[in-house]
Amino acid sequence: MTDRLTELREEIYKILPEVDGVIALKKGPSAIVAPYLFVKEAADDLQKLAVWPKEPVPDTLKIIQRAHPEARLAIVVRGCEERGLVEMSKHSQVDLDKVTLIGLACTAEEADICRCTKPAPTHAKIVIGERVEGTVDRLTDDFTAKSLEEKLAFWKQEYSHCIKCYGCRNICPQCFCNVCTLEDEKWVETGRLPLPQPSMYHLIRSMHMTAKCVACRECEETCPAGIPLSIQFRLIARDVKQMYGYETGENLDQQPPQLLVLEEGEYERTGLPH
Amino acid sequence: MYEPKIIGFLCNWCSYRGADTAGMARLKYATNVKVVRVPCSGRISPELVLRTFREGADGVMVLGCHIGDCHYGTGNHRTAKRMPILKKLLEYNGIDPERLYINWVSAAEGEKFATVIDEFTDKIRAMTPFEEVMK
Repeated sequence: MTDRLTELREEIYKILPEVDGVIALKKGPSAIVAPYLFVKEAADDLQKLAVWPKEPVPDTLKIIQRAHPEARLAIVVRGCEERGLVEMSKHSQVDLDKVTLIGLACTAEEADICRCTKPAPTHAKIVIGERVEGTVDRLTDDFTAKSLEEKLAFWKQEYSHCIKCYGCRNICPQCFCNVCTLEDEKWVETGRLPLPQPSMYHLIRSMHMTAKCVACRECEETCPAGIPLSIQFRLIARDVKQMYGYETGENLDQQPPQLLVLEEGEYERTGLPH
Repeated sequence: MYEPKIIGFLCNWCSYRGADTAGMARLKYATNVKVVRVPCSGRISPELVLRTFREGADGVMVLGCHIGDCHYGTGNHRTAKRMPILKKLLEYNGIDPERLYINWVSAAEGEKFATVIDEFTDKIRAMTPFEEVMK
């Protein structure tokens, strides 16, 4: 891991004079790792560069670009974060034309922790670290083998821990609406815990993550109750791929399927009546 | 035998007219479906369907124009893209996806309307009431 860190640091040193800043992770005073904007005026900060734990850098890029639309930035991204940026750019949240991507390949252990199937960036020209094969997402695969009753019992159990802190929504780089349905009393009732079933909060959030979730697992990481939220996002991502041939976060030119009309042969794959 | 509560979202231009046609032809069909007229089946957001279940409906029907016949051109394409995902989501959450029914009924298809309503009502009647499942 040290090798990858040194290599990344050298790469950032190299690129720093050409750009206004580089977004990467930095160790804070109390060993907390957080996204940080490295600039050439304070290049010594790079001594505190970090690569793990994973923190949501795409959001940092969005915030900085909002305040400084002209800034030329570079950003260190993992596979998932790069996919996230691709989706965000399709929804006009970031401007990738003004950004240099520095790829960071995850190690096999990191991929294991995230149950990640695609742990390396594909768009970035430079990729630091060795590309590893993705792991098999056992948790999600095992979930699909459950019966309907077992699935219901599984989520009843998991959602009973939910304190509706909105942490999963707040951390999600893909959740950027100005007006959030989850705050509307019409759809999500307030002040009831444990969540009444079926949980409007989680179902609506899952539905809104269709063709947007890139399986970065930030929501699970931040959840104080440890709910394996990404299971259904990942399953829906598989369905979207199967029905509409849309691979979330892969291709910059492919438009999200909800924004387009049905194409030849698509209707047959949805399983709707003829 | 319990009588299921079913909410039917019918598009104004085709399915709702289809219901009228069924009525004018004096066709008999189950009265369990409570009809909500909407401008287009594309108006039915997933939130609406979920809340209908949340309020205690045993089944939800979404009926719209046939693909290609939408009054607004491509409104029902949205339905056809959204609802299959919602069905999958219901399944992943342990709710029988069969409780959500999507079909296309045109203004002339009074008979199809009556058949669709009867079949769906029978299917839901054979299931456990939704409130009991969720308990």
